Amino acid sequence: MKIAVSSEDLNLEARVAQRFGISPYLIIVDPETMEFEAVPNPGAAGQRAAGVQTVVLAISKEVGAVLTGYLSPTAMKYLTNNGIEVITGVKGAVSEAVALYRNQIHPATIHRKVKPERTRTILIRAFNSTGKQFANLLPIFVGVVLLVGLFNTFISKELLSLIFPGNALLDTLCGAGFGSILASNPINSYVIGGELLKQGVSLFAVTAFLTAWVTIGLVQLPAEIAALGKKFALIRNALSFALCMAISFLTVATYYAILG
Amino acid sequence: MISMKAKKDEISTQKRSWFRNLIFPGCVLVIYGMVLVISPAEAAMAFGSSAGILFNLMLPLSLVFTIMVLMNLFLKPVHIVRFLGPESGSKGIVLSAVAGIISMGPIYAWYPLLRELREKGAKNSLIAVFLANRAVKPFLLPIMIAYLGGVYVVVLTLFTIAGSLAVGYLVNILIKD
Repeated sequence: MKIAVSSEDLNLEARVAQRFGISPYLIIVDPETMEFEAVPNPGAAGQRAAGVQTVVLAISKEVGAVLTGYLSPTAMKYLTNNGIEVITGVKGAVSEAVALYRNQIHPATIHRKVKPERTRTILIRAFNSTGKQFANLLPIFVGVVLLVGLFNTFISKELLSLIFPGNALLDTLCGAGFGSILASNPINSYVIGGELLKQGVSLFAVTAFLTAWVTIGLVQLPAEIAALGKKFALIRNALSFALCMAISFLTVATYYAILG
Repeated sequence: MISMKAKKDEISTQKRSWFRNLIFPGCVLVIYGMVLVISPAEAAMAFGSSAGILFNLMLPLSLVFTIMVLMNLFLKPVHIVRFLGPESGSKGIVLSAVAGIISMGPIYAWYPLLRELREKGAKNSLIAVFLANRAVKPFLLPIMIAYLGGVYVVVLTLFTIAGSLAVGYLVNILIKD
């Protein structure tokens, strides 16, 4: 079984790094043969979510235990949930820490292993987070359903046929255009798209609308530019618009071909 | 002390986001109020139409809730980060597509993580594949099928996944990593 030790340097004589998430290296070592591999820690720069990167690295190296000075409760939870034993409060050289671990010398103050969570606790947490996600989704969803009710009552099929005249190309363009401007959870686009279909709007328009709703975000464009750069954001959104058009034509043609 | 402050900040952000979520339905209710004053019969008709939509969506909505619980049980952000690492080649593309499909929550919540991943070497094309595959939402399939039918949903899903690969390929050509 391999173990991971947070380390200040690339060799076994280096000191154990005291903070797992931002330790410069992880030394992956076989305690029996002392063969080791030193891996730079992607979270070493200490940016946001640095700990998650280090946890991912440890899990991907398939280690059975982690030896370090300190790590966050979240990192501890992910590691132990993946069956990895975690020992904190470790000091001194990496080789000494590994030797202590191999000889099972764990002074009570430095040994810490978290028991796996009980199934009931995990289930309750999953229900709680789903409840929160649902509670976040519901107000807008109910608002959309109420608005669609008004729409069904006041917007006539004749008016809709002015916006979506039944021409495949124009309908697709309009659908993709509306979908690009509006943005929220996709569940809302299904309700709007489904009701538009009932009102006689073509499947071309609805398909382009559904695809654009999720893949293109004019409202979110400033956030995408800030995060991923202007060039990337503009090119990706432009390509996605063309993609919505293509997907709409291909999907509708295939769908009607299947239905005969 | 620092963690208590962080906790307080998180709670106040959640409260703000909850209030922001209420603005839109609040505005719709104001419109209903106005319609009710001007034309009560049509307001009742609109409300009846909305109630009908909600009633029809009860069963699909409970299925959505069940699938979301299952995804929360078995999928953690740590898995998605693993999928979206700086892998290259076809494996990286498949993993990015899977990460996009199983990712939940609003897109802006993912931007900081995507930026970080790119700084660590994830390719632009893979990030584009991830973003395009967010259109495929397994937990919302019951609603989609209720409205649009199973055959249509399968065809659209397959073309969306194929299209995402095309966007990834073109992004790769147009933007040099």
